[in-house]
Amino acid sequence: MALLEIRELTKRFLGVTAVDRVDLAIERGELVSLIGPNGSGKTTLFNCVTGYLDADGGRVLFDGRDVTNAPPHRMARLGIGRTFQQVSVFPRLSVLDNLLVFVQQHQEEDLLARLVRTRRQQHFEAEAVARARGLLELVGLADRAATAAGALSYGQRKLLAFAAALMPDPELLLLDEPAAAVNPTMINQMKAHILAAHRQGKTVLLVEHNMDVVMDISRRIIVLDGGRKIAEGPPDVIRRDPRVVEAYFGR
Amino acid sequence: MGASKWPPNPQTLGTAPARPSRSSVTGCATQGPRNGCPQTPKRSERPGEAVALLGYATGAELIFDLLEQVLHGLTLGAMYAMVAAGLALMLGVARLINFAHGEFFMLGAYAFWYAYSELGLPYALAALVAPAVMVLFGVVYQRTVIRAILPRSWHVQLIATLATSIVLTNLAIIVLGTQPKEVPTALSSRILDVGGFRVAWQRIVVLVAALVMFWGLQRFVGRTRIGRAMRAMSQNREACAVVGVDVQRVTLVTFGLSAALAAVAAALVSPLFNIFPDMGTALTLKAFAAVVAGGFGYVNGAIAASFLIGITEALAGTYVSYAYKDAIAFVIMIVVLLWRPQGLFGRRIGI
Amino acid sequence: MRRAAGWALAVVVVSAPWLVAVAVPRQQRYVLHVLIFTALFAALALSYDLVVGHVGSLSLAHPAFFGIGAYAAAILATRAGWPFLADVLGAVLVAAVVAAVVGVPLFRLTEHAFAVGTLGLALVAWIVANNWVEVTRGPLCVTGIPKPVLGVGSGPALTVTTLPGYYWLALSALAAVVLLYRRLTTFRLGRAFHAVRDNEPLAGAAGINPLKYRLLAFTIAGALAGGVGALYVHYLSVMCPEEMTIGLTVNLLVIVFLGGVGSLRGVLLGAVLFTALPEALRLAPTWRLVIYGLLLLLVVVRSPEGLESLLRRAGARRAAV
Repeated sequence: MALLEIRELTKRFLGVTAVDRVDLAIERGELVSLIGPNGSGKTTLFNCVTGYLDADGGRVLFDGRDVTNAPPHRMARLGIGRTFQQVSVFPRLSVLDNLLVFVQQHQEEDLLARLVRTRRQQHFEAEAVARARGLLELVGLADRAATAAGALSYGQRKLLAFAAALMPDPELLLLDEPAAAVNPTMINQMKAHILAAHRQGKTVLLVEHNMDVVMDISRRIIVLDGGRKIAEGPPDVIRRDPRVVEAYFGR
Repeated sequence: MGASKWPPNPQTLGTAPARPSRSSVTGCATQGPRNGCPQTPKRSERPGEAVALLGYATGAELIFDLLEQVLHGLTLGAMYAMVAAGLALMLGVARLINFAHGEFFMLGAYAFWYAYSELGLPYALAALVAPAVMVLFGVVYQRTVIRAILPRSWHVQLIATLATSIVLTNLAIIVLGTQPKEVPTALSSRILDVGGFRVAWQRIVVLVAALVMFWGLQRFVGRTRIGRAMRAMSQNREACAVVGVDVQRVTLVTFGLSAALAAVAAALVSPLFNIFPDMGTALTLKAFAAVVAGGFGYVNGAIAASFLIGITEALAGTYVSYAYKDAIAFVIMIVVLLWRPQGLFGRRIGI
Repeated sequence: MRRAAGWALAVVVVSAPWLVAVAVPRQQRYVLHVLIFTALFAALALSYDLVVGHVGSLSLAHPAFFGIGAYAAAILATRAGWPFLADVLGAVLVAAVVAAVVGVPLFRLTEHAFAVGTLGLALVAWIVANNWVEVTRGPLCVTGIPKPVLGVGSGPALTVTTLPGYYWLALSALAAVVLLYRRLTTFRLGRAFHAVRDNEPLAGAAGINPLKYRLLAFTIAGALAGGVGALYVHYLSVMCPEEMTIGLTVNLLVIVFLGGVGSLRGVLLGAVLFTALPEALRLAPTWRLVIYGLLLLLVVVRSPEGLESLLRRAGARRAAV
């Protein structure tokens, strides 16, 4: 059974069909890239899957469970982490707090427990802090732990967002253009981080424009154009597929 | 009372003790000739009275009463609509939340009163003085407050305009006093009698004038260059600036237009109701309720919702409960929003 | 150094009645009266800041919850003969239930509609208070609310009859609210609230249900406002509809935005300034509102973070020197 299965997903905006009956399946442990020219519906697909947009048709199944149109926080709790195309952090919270926020879901709702600082709470908090610091070390932001996230550079915020997505230890990572708008050094860093997360057993689906990155790290590539899936396969095959070339460069 | 009371005391909806239903602009509307309300004489005066249908001698009386209330509701609706249309315009075109909009109405009413009662100008002239004064005031307000808050978040806009509303209302209380003013005109006491069905001429004037204004507004927005610019801005501001539309000027014109609409409504309706300093607040809230229910920024939607509110208020006020009729507008808004969160007419782009 | 100052301040605040008796013996009653109001108002402002400052929802409905709690306590005490502690608890519960019930549909609205909806709620609450004469006596007010009696059942009880007594009661309530405020705005709960405030979509991606947290803050704030209302009516022994008008919202907005939105010190500072000062100046209510309005206008346009951020910057500069 596939970890993430999308069947005939459709999304329309005022007469424009942004996503047109797309089928795709991601197996556990895969590292898949979703590519396509601008406006082909990649981010819209992401948003439908993660609950930010309501699909007009089709189904989304996660680990066999139907999660079509489930709200974002539910998707997060089921084990899906994501980053956003426009890098998204909590600007007024510290870098450390940005990560700590992402483990809310592991402690369930006991208002009284939250009001009274029980020993279990303190223990949990300490664990969370330790884990957060570890992740910050990983992405090289450990020395900025107390800085407000809004004060970081664009690249640093991208790293922070990536670390935050990893914080709740999700099974599936959806990364929206992780290599966009950053310098080559940072791109290599991101590649390394993504590969490391993949080696640890995470399933990764990324949307990306940077063909070098895509060809380099993906095991499988899915191509969208005009909201439809037009090709699917390993990098070598896709590289040579005439439909893909046509989609990107025209006739 | 004064100093020993909790600080947040006065201001709207609570200051003046002795007036009966002073929370609403329509104070006099269903009350009849008591308290000096210049009004068409009503058949069933007391609130909730109409429940006693047995009180009607003939079916015709019942019909007439119902028609009167519907007409009254239309008058109310027309007033709300003119105020709400201006509000929706500003929201749609300039993305401005103006909580002081009701004060345009209030100040316009006082301007009209001054022109008509104090200066003795003929009705038509006084009715034009009000919007003229308010447009001027609007320009000043725009230059000072609005320009500063227009680029800011809507929180800032809301608080700033709410603050302005408080300042204006209380200044009005200080300068003009809390005693309501009456402006009886020739037409407000002249009754048209059609075979037993009676209505004050002024009400007909209000309705006709409102329809004329809406028709004029449609033509203006639909046909003129500035109107086109307004529509364009409401659909896509950034593109407008790029294409060369003078965003500042269009905003100023829209603002003046919305102020004028409110002031004309005030001049039309003042002969029928009392004028008092905090009449603006309740009106702003109801106008917002209409705007929200009609689809944020959609002018025709706001107008339609206003008439719905007006008629429901009048009917509910007479046949259900007079005391709670001011709550009707919000009940309608909440019901509409629960049923269709984008407003009565769905998600629309532009005014 | 700062800790010592903090303790000194605490001592001054607690011993205020004696200090006042010594400093201004002839104005004692009046000054204590102002202090009591300030304490109650500070508690109310903190509860308001939970919603506006920490969860970022611009609610204009606070007077409604204050009024609902006040009337609930008043009616329970006068009509049903409930003892003080019970009717305060009752007031808190009633306000909480109303907040939770109206909060659910309100928070599904867009931000603007939410603000208008809460404003409408405040208006409707006032209309009900003014017109439901069988229960609230409308403009005639509920009178004869008994003095607070601190005790349970038929055991020993302490009746609060003196102004210093009321002051300490109000101060205790304020202290409790401050503790709760701090607990709610730090650690996990505080982080969750701030996440929802600062970036709602990302909060969703972090597994936080924005609706749930907004509703939680709103309900707790409403409950606290109701509690303050209950204490208020036991102090004044009278409750009228004018106590729950939109003017109250303006006062709260002034305190919170001029004092420092989202900041404990800021809100407390704002409450002291904007409750005590107008009383000291003996401003007529209309003039006070005009001045408040102008101040609010000025500050919101120029410096939305309020006085507290100015203070913080001044403090930072001093530390750097």
